Amino acid sequence: MFQHVETHRLRFAFFLLAVAFPCLTLAQSASPAAQSSAGQQGPSQAQQSSPPSKLPNAPTPAASSSSQQLSLSDLGFSAQQTQADPKLQAKLDRRTRMLKIHQRLGIITLAPMAAALITGPMAKAKGKNGQIITEPSNANLDFHAALGSATATLYFTTAYFAIAAPRISNHPKHGAIRVHEALAFIHGPGMILTPILGAMAFSQEQKGEKVHGIASAHGAVATTTVLAYAAAIVSVSWPIHLKFWEKQ
Amino acid sequence: MNRFLYVLCLGIFAVLAAQYILAQSDSQWVADQSTLTYHMSHPMHEVDGVSHAARGKGICHAGACEFLIAVPVKSFDSGDTNRDLHMIETTRGAQFPMIVVRAHFSQAEIAQQWIHADLEVQFAGQTAHYSQVAFERTQQGNAVRITGTIPLTCSDFKIDRPTFLTVPIKNEIPVRVDMSWHAE
Repeated sequence: MFQHVETHRLRFAFFLLAVAFPCLTLAQSASPAAQSSAGQQGPSQAQQSSPPSKLPNAPTPAASSSSQQLSLSDLGFSAQQTQADPKLQAKLDRRTRMLKIHQRLGIITLAPMAAALITGPMAKAKGKNGQIITEPSNANLDFHAALGSATATLYFTTAYFAIAAPRISNHPKHGAIRVHEALAFIHGPGMILTPILGAMAFSQEQKGEKVHGIASAHGAVATTTVLAYAAAIVSVSWPIHLKFWEKQ
Repeated sequence: MNRFLYVLCLGIFAVLAAQYILAQSDSQWVADQSTLTYHMSHPMHEVDGVSHAARGKGICHAGACEFLIAVPVKSFDSGDTNRDLHMIETTRGAQFPMIVVRAHFSQAEIAQQWIHADLEVQFAGQTAHYSQVAFERTQQGNAVRITGTIPLTCSDFKIDRPTFLTVPIKNEIPVRVDMSWHAE
């Protein structure tokens, strides 16, 4: 009787093994991740891109993920969002090119601008008794005027590259660029007014008159223009974190 | 001896049955909320660009999980329109408007604290692979929050590094991922 029960148990055990073996085979064939976790680093692209499709009579892989391969359309993005726009790319490329020139010229302009501001007060000559006289020397004036002309030429060329750069629609401006552009409303008119006022002051001095009226604001307008211009450069670079000691 | 054989068989059967059931249990995942942040570093600037426009779906099937996450390039906001437009230009974002990430990992990891995923990133017309990128998984009610950092670099995608005052930005542009998912 006891031996009969033992035999029955043994049969049951072998039955379980018989059931388990196909399960093992099935589970392993259906679980590539389980295989990879056993010995490999992870599913490589080569493994995924070498499907049994090379075998002409290979069955359609029921457990293969290719049938459930996710695509962008599953995520609900519109065609407009996912479609390439070569025209916009070309526009952006042109815009960047122009703004890079704008940036370089803008920094270069700062040099003659600062020099003109420094040489401005020097354009006043000293008399024999040490007193400031209204007629500056020709050399000082010419140098100051040349610096002013160079500044104006560079400035308006710089401005051209910013104004003519293509505008990108659907991108409302925000951030430091707004401050940068707002300051142009100060240094822009300043750059127009400064040479006009300078010419007026020069004309008055040539007539032997003391500089008067609006022409006397030449220095103040020039200073305001340079300060606004410098602030515009700093604003577009703000916030600045100096870390030049760090390796690139 | 017979008893030992009996227990062994039962054990094997239990393990295999569990593995089989686990391998067959499918699950689908959808992203609820997302915050992707790239970090750009320059000796004069530290910039973070944030996007909340990423969408994602995932399927776990036959012991493996495949997740797809995509985000429009132009959706990143660094706080300055000019910089953002320059970023789109530099990364050829008008020609290749989407950043697409495919993540693959073992289904067994879906319930663990750390998920190590193999990533395929399509960006700027190039494809780069990152293996075993670690993401932390935290359960928040019904949602699962996944956080981690993808170590992208400009050179991986042949992006010409933008310069400021002739100094280029750092090659590394790590992208911080913070996404909430729920099972469907």
